[in-house]
Amino acid sequence: MIEPDIIAEQVRMCAACPKMCRHVCPTFFAWRSDAPTPHGRALLLHQEITGTREIDERGVEVLYQCLECSHCLTWCKPEIDIATLVEIKRRDLVKAGKQPKGISRLTDLVKKNHNPFDEDHSKRNDWIKTNDSKGPRILYFTGCTAAYREKDSAQDTVSLLEKLGYSVEVTSDEWCCGSPLIRTGDVDAGMELASHNVELLNSIDAEEILVTCPGCYRVLTSDYPDSGHELNKPVLHVSEFLSKSSDKLPKGEFGGSITFHDPCHLGRHSGIYDAPREVIAAVSGSSVVEMERNKENASCCGNGAGLRTLFPDHAKKIGDERIRHAKNVDAQYLVTSCPFCKNMLASQSGADITVLDLPELVVMAEKMQYDKID
Amino acid sequence: MLDEKTKKKAFEQITKIVDAEHITRFETDQILNAHDAWPLSEAKIRAGETLPLADLIVFPGTVDEVSQTLVVANELKIPVTPVGGGAGTCGGTLPIYGGIQLDLKRLNKITEIDHASMVVRVQAGVVGIDLEEEVNRFGYTTGHTPTSLRASNIGGFIATRSGGSMSSLYGKIEDLTLGLQVVLPDGSIIESKAVPRHSVGPDLRQLFIGSEGTLGIITEATLRLFPIPDKRQFRSISFPDVHSGIEAIRKIFRVGILPSVVRLYDPEDAALSFSMHFEFEEGHCMLLLAFEGDPKKVEIDETKSIQICLDEGGTDQGDGPSKRWWEHRYDMYYPTRLTTGGYAIGDTIDIVATYDKLENVYHAMKEAMETEEAIVMSHFSHMYQNGGSIYMIFFTSQPDAETAWATYNKIWDVGVAACLREGGTMSHQHGVGLSRSTYTEDELGSSFSVLKKIKEALDPNGIMNPGKLGLGVRK
Repeated sequence: MIEPDIIAEQVRMCAACPKMCRHVCPTFFAWRSDAPTPHGRALLLHQEITGTREIDERGVEVLYQCLECSHCLTWCKPEIDIATLVEIKRRDLVKAGKQPKGISRLTDLVKKNHNPFDEDHSKRNDWIKTNDSKGPRILYFTGCTAAYREKDSAQDTVSLLEKLGYSVEVTSDEWCCGSPLIRTGDVDAGMELASHNVELLNSIDAEEILVTCPGCYRVLTSDYPDSGHELNKPVLHVSEFLSKSSDKLPKGEFGGSITFHDPCHLGRHSGIYDAPREVIAAVSGSSVVEMERNKENASCCGNGAGLRTLFPDHAKKIGDERIRHAKNVDAQYLVTSCPFCKNMLASQSGADITVLDLPELVVMAEKMQYDKID
Repeated sequence: MLDEKTKKKAFEQITKIVDAEHITRFETDQILNAHDAWPLSEAKIRAGETLPLADLIVFPGTVDEVSQTLVVANELKIPVTPVGGGAGTCGGTLPIYGGIQLDLKRLNKITEIDHASMVVRVQAGVVGIDLEEEVNRFGYTTGHTPTSLRASNIGGFIATRSGGSMSSLYGKIEDLTLGLQVVLPDGSIIESKAVPRHSVGPDLRQLFIGSEGTLGIITEATLRLFPIPDKRQFRSISFPDVHSGIEAIRKIFRVGILPSVVRLYDPEDAALSFSMHFEFEEGHCMLLLAFEGDPKKVEIDETKSIQICLDEGGTDQGDGPSKRWWEHRYDMYYPTRLTTGGYAIGDTIDIVATYDKLENVYHAMKEAMETEEAIVMSHFSHMYQNGGSIYMIFFTSQPDAETAWATYNKIWDVGVAACLREGGTMSHQHGVGLSRSTYTEDELGSSFSVLKKIKEALDPNGIMNPGKLGLGVRK
């Protein structure tokens, strides 16, 4: 938690900065206005703190026009993390019942169905096929996007783990990790999900918990323990897990260059940059062709922190731009390691570039290998 | 500010031109979009003050939308303040009389690169860094890299007659702009053809370069491009005093060498900028040089320049200080706890003069500004064959806002007065805006009447950015 006087000092500096990070802010790109920008958000907070002006309804909207991608932080010499300050303010707004209606609806949906997509909880992941295996037990926390929107990614993850000799456990009792609620300010509702998930996951006999969604990863490894919800086994992201077994991964001829999109929650928020690249290199036999904006400087896909829920057209515009970045380097494949990013990027990609989540790429390599032998 | 009736009328008419989602009347948007990079604006924001606000902000998406919006504004006699990146340092984009803030950020297309002619056509709302990165992809540079590159837009570069850190080699924006598209206050769209030189009367393109939105709105430009240099070499030399450093610079240009970077830091600025990282004699100045282009030519230019510097009493400091400046050249633009604490305020008076006057201007300004409780440090940068610019940087910290703003204004008054008295010109690259507006008549002298007549002819209703450039000041 950041002390109020530190917040005041930080927004004071940011609010009057000559906009040295704005050029990478995805919402500035989408709106082309100085309102949804880091200094715009800071100015709202600064004026409220100094008593100059209250945050009105439009101000609230501006605070929800933030992807919390923290790309601005990469370009900020004084290291002011506006994403965190916005998230702290969102908590106040939720407590005061001032969040946008779209966010309230999102919260209600998650409370009702345990997922943000208004889908039936009973159909969450009962469709995933697992085989009996005597290998080490690994618990796959599917997350909502893979469970309901990127089913190939979820099934490929299971198949892959089993091929690597693991016994995969999937529990239909898992609930949304809470990321959509925590990031949009409803920490209490998020922590109710945390309580359920921690109790459930701790009761299952497995050596490790594996996640493919970096949003889930950040929540399980950071937000849960920060609020006293301790898991009793390590949590690994699929990219870390696969990179440790890179010598056992299949090799494929992809016939085109592969670029990698760093998910914000995996990269800037969790510091994992190399593992997915190692996996791609292992299965494709060549290094990732980097987009100009990569790793700490990677652009957001446009899908985070409630933006797609509230402003779908602007979110898609940001996704479009990331596709353009991939095409700029003549990539035939745009790989990411996040079902949520994959979902956005694939929706904007068109026919001349293939978007894959990391487990899908690995399974594709295996199929290519099999086809070659065949 | 507009009365409610006029505001309503303007809104109704402009929504027929520009989609309603690109016009805003919300106060929150007006506040968040008023923010420029004038140090006085920034200090006021920090102090909890509100900057002047527009009644409407219009974000046109095409030149036709700009044109039709100006027709409405002209008919209703509404002030129009154009804004690009909002990164100007002189208050030039503040809508001090309300009205319409015409924001060009949606005009953000890089239309065409002509590889044969090495030029690029670009819309006014493209951010500088976005253009530079795009042309870099094809092996070019614009040669225009001001410290504000990440925040300022092409239209703003041209409207303020801006200069980049390598202007000694590549020139300022007036040298880099070959063609212009401008919308006049009556809505007519004019084109100044992109040609390298011409002899068809006065260069009308130059009339709008530096016009700061007072004569029309720049919507597109054709800019020159240069191949990315094969080599860039840095070198640094310390000098016992400002005089010997300036003499070395003057002689380097005199033998026909054009370094890309030439920056002479006076003892105070050298101490602040380099003494914590490099060892050199206390009280000495530091000259930073960079040479770029063909490696063989770079080597010859560097060798000759160093010899000139040594002959003038300089001491070779290797590439360290120069390289460090290059790697950290954007850092000084960020706020720090020191420069933003309390009612601290600083600014730069970027003046320009010929070599015969340069040192006198420097000493006179420094002395005058220091009498007003300013900490003053300076560097001579943007140097040319016939003279160059001085960054007279000052800083003051006062116990309350009222004293701080008054002290700030007083430092400006005495600084500019000293500059003009000694034969300097009050701005090299930052423009005039509000901070220098009241000095414009003194600066231009007898030629100010020409500027006024041009303004009256092109903008008889005085709608374009009133109060800036010494023009259209209202009560």
